[in-house]
Amino acid sequence: MSPLVLAFLVLALLTCGSALSMLWTKNLLHAALAMFLTMLGLAGLYVLAYADVLAVAHLLVYVGGVLILILFGIMLTNQTDPATGKNHLMTRESARLLPISIGLSFFLGLFWLFTKGPWIHNLPVTGESKLREVGLGLLTEYAFPFELAGVFLLIALIGATFVAKSHD
Amino acid sequence: MTDIPVIYFLWVSAFLFATGLSILLLKKNTIFVLMGIELILNAANLNLVAFSKNDPSLQGLYLSIFVLVVGVCEMAIALAIVLQVYRNYRAIEVDQFKSEY
Repeated sequence: MSPLVLAFLVLALLTCGSALSMLWTKNLLHAALAMFLTMLGLAGLYVLAYADVLAVAHLLVYVGGVLILILFGIMLTNQTDPATGKNHLMTRESARLLPISIGLSFFLGLFWLFTKGPWIHNLPVTGESKLREVGLGLLTEYAFPFELAGVFLLIALIGATFVAKSHD
Repeated sequence: MTDIPVIYFLWVSAFLFATGLSILLLKKNTIFVLMGIELILNAANLNLVAFSKNDPSLQGLYLSIFVLVVGVCEMAIALAIVLQVYRNYRAIEVDQFKSEY
């Protein structure tokens, strides 16, 4: 087994295991922590897929941005139990059988589709870092969508602060 | 050094998608549901990245960068909405949102 495949297996195990623990736990804060580990593993998988630009952006955005947003969301919406004075981080969930079996059937269906597909196995499996191409492409061919994404981000952030302020 | 076959990435992304879908259906807390949506988004992103490995024009990679941006915007707006919903209902469980009219 080549070291690259071994690294892939470790990262895939980290990603899938912490995603599963996100599914399993009822504690909201534990789920946020598991999501952090999932995002770390995913960034590693992006590096192994030769998308290092995306891996760095993913780490910055998810670990630095989205996770902090989620933690603030948890802190701002927690409910203190009036009887005991403790915070409720445990969440309720519906019956486990139906959602998990739907998810499992989706996974098995996709697994079957990907494994049986004749269009996947004959792909070449070599590559190198695309850093230079992506940098050039974002500033030449895809410059307009790139700027549009920036404006979109600004609009979304202003909109989020407007929605979140109190409208009394 | 041998490279990693594309199919491995597809298996991981199928697993992530199924887990995200299960979280979406299972949990009642809105923040939990949003985390499930993030998992689904990232599964799609992983697929795009894995296939753009073999694409010299790299369109999948560019699309996945824009998917990342849109995902962040969605998360920011959705958490702001969750905050307002909490102010109105004092609860963020999806089965407790009932119209008062």
